[in-house]
Amino acid sequence: MNARTEVIDLELDEGHELLRRSAREFLAKRFPLARLREVEKSELGYDPELWREMAALDWAGLGLPEELGGAAAGFLAQYALHLELGRALVPSPLLASSVIAAELLLAAGGDAERELLRRIASGDAIVAPALDEPEGGFGLDSIQLAARRVSGGWQLSGTKLFVPYAHVAERVLVAARSAPGPDGISLFLLERNSPGLVVEALPNIADLPLFAVELDGVRAGERELVGKPDCAGAALEAAWERAGILHCAELVGAGERVLELTLRYAQDREQFGRPVGQYQAVQYLCSDIAIDVHLASLLSRHAAWRIDAGLPASYQAAAARAHAGVAAQHIVRQAHEVFAGAAFMLENDLQLFTRRAKHWELALGDARYQLERLAAQLESAGIG
Amino acid sequence: MQIRFTPEQEAWRQEVRSFLDRELPPAQAFDTEFDEDEERWAFALEFTRKLGAKGWIGLGWPREYGGLERPAAERFILAEELTYREAPLVNSIGHGLAAGTLLLGGTEQQKRRFLPPIARMETFWVEGLSEPGAGSDLAALTTSARRDGSDWIVRGQKTYTTWGQRGDVMYLAARSDPSSRRHEGLSIFCLDMKAKGVTLSPLDNLGGGRQNHTYLDDVRLPAEMLLGEEGQGWRYIMNAFYGGGGHAAHMYYQRMLDTLVAWCREHRRGGRRVIDDPIVRQELGALAVMVESVRMLMYESVSNAERQRAPAFAGALGTVVMKELRPRFSETLHRIVGPLAQLRPSRFAPFEGLAEAWYRHSYANHAGGTPQVKRMVLATRGLGLPR
Repeated sequence: MNARTEVIDLELDEGHELLRRSAREFLAKRFPLARLREVEKSELGYDPELWREMAALDWAGLGLPEELGGAAAGFLAQYALHLELGRALVPSPLLASSVIAAELLLAAGGDAERELLRRIASGDAIVAPALDEPEGGFGLDSIQLAARRVSGGWQLSGTKLFVPYAHVAERVLVAARSAPGPDGISLFLLERNSPGLVVEALPNIADLPLFAVELDGVRAGERELVGKPDCAGAALEAAWERAGILHCAELVGAGERVLELTLRYAQDREQFGRPVGQYQAVQYLCSDIAIDVHLASLLSRHAAWRIDAGLPASYQAAAARAHAGVAAQHIVRQAHEVFAGAAFMLENDLQLFTRRAKHWELALGDARYQLERLAAQLESAGIG
Repeated sequence: MQIRFTPEQEAWRQEVRSFLDRELPPAQAFDTEFDEDEERWAFALEFTRKLGAKGWIGLGWPREYGGLERPAAERFILAEELTYREAPLVNSIGHGLAAGTLLLGGTEQQKRRFLPPIARMETFWVEGLSEPGAGSDLAALTTSARRDGSDWIVRGQKTYTTWGQRGDVMYLAARSDPSSRRHEGLSIFCLDMKAKGVTLSPLDNLGGGRQNHTYLDDVRLPAEMLLGEEGQGWRYIMNAFYGGGGHAAHMYYQRMLDTLVAWCREHRRGGRRVIDDPIVRQELGALAVMVESVRMLMYESVSNAERQRAPAFAGALGTVVMKELRPRFSETLHRIVGPLAQLRPSRFAPFEGLAEAWYRHSYANHAGGTPQVKRMVLATRGLGLPR
């Protein structure tokens, strides 16, 4: 009998802790914040050499099946890795390509996509998921880009926003509405240089490589269709849910670092003859950060564990995302209050976290959307 | 990492539920902190005795003291089920505070003397910590215990004595070393509430409960009424406040949320069900996040207790969250319910007037220290900021 199964244990397994520690060491050396500053100003918006090294560490295929060259390490391993990717504020195609796009291809696709999935797992191919739209809504209802049936296939027209890494992607994976209702979504895998497909840079607060993708009557045939038509809804919900929890992990890792930076400053900075960390108001600000980060950690870890264990996790994931959506903003705001004027200057590292936190807050379902998802589940659950 | 209960643990949960189905008619469920109805209290004592007869009061204690040596996860399951159904398990000062001190620091003799009667619900304990001049600053207490031969003579005043008028004995913190100050030199005693020199005066509170001032006028205590070691009182009290495991506060909030959701689905306002109001839906989602946050803090407590891990942030983070969350939960609930939330029981009051009661109860978030004091503990001992 394994005594461990008798216990509620919230600590990450030893293997995941090892992954976490080695990732932290690697990224601390290989991607200090000074390097992030350079990358944010660059055309590419990420470090391709670092991406190759991450792929060599099997990170690009961490959650993907072994028969595709992945490590099949499970969702908690991905969660543990993203704690460190968040701490180091690494911009990379990992979440977009290896998690969202790959999960969609795995769930909805057949054999046609296996070769591409192999190259996603090895980091050699980047596939950019094109899901969000200009109205700024979330969920299946928000997908309005039309896939109109024509002879030989479909014609796609509309706009996608926040498409990550479209500028270097081999393919763009577009979610389009091929029929009305939640079951009317189809996925199309398009070449970036498809006729009628235009990629436009979207300058954003986090200086991430995000793009608008305009589709003007782009033709797609059976070859471009992923899986069956009108079937992609469930796969999209699952991909969004997983990616959302990994964003939470990034927020937790970054939040822990923000707390460390803030506490150090509160201890070192003296005004009116004493460290500012001695003032009760400043202590409140610091404890706000600690509380927000710790609850984000607990809530997201619960959802991650359930996903890893193959249990339904929609309720826990929505709770984690709803909390993170508020915490992301609050953590950096309180930190800025402690640092005061010093952190308003770009030379201070805090603003790197502040701008990235805004992206995390709003990506993949903001608080308002997640609270509605919770309410819908409460409504249908009955007294329990 | 593991958050799922085993099949054996789920079977235990079913066993507890069956017991409650048999022994707890829903009409007999009540909040023993804020309800002084004597008929209900008679039921509560009988109910607690029945739990004791099954050995469930001291579920985790060593067998020789009346316990069943069951692990933290099972104590947690029991707490979840009792809390969700608002089961009137009484004597929390006995099986919580007093038992905790005895198991931590009691002599063998003390354990054998005091624990079995608690396990059987034969002795009702009340709390003697706070004083008029020592609330959040408990270390400022002045009630003294001086030696007289082998006896102790206790003099002073305690306040906020919850359930004082029902108590057989008091868990008393007194200064046993007259030259000591603050948290040095404090000892814990078991004081007979019927002893000569003990008088009470009532303090009825906003929640609907009766607390008391307790006057101790040279009350004589035999030597064997000292609990644990002389002078170790502060350590025992801190263990009770920051030691973890076994509480299931999330089920208190889950019950309120479930009751509220059911009402929102039935009640109509402005031409639609309350639950169809988009603003209400946002607020319900916010309440769900609060419940899940508390659930995870309780899981973390069990996780730490089972693994014998010291809690992060000196155990203060969870406490701050709980104390600040209680008013917020109640206020959000009131926004959803609207003007009907002010009604005490009548045929118009939503869910039997509970919204009104829960709101008054939500002002009781200071026991064991205010949220602000706990924030100070979090900031200094938890985060290392300078005092």
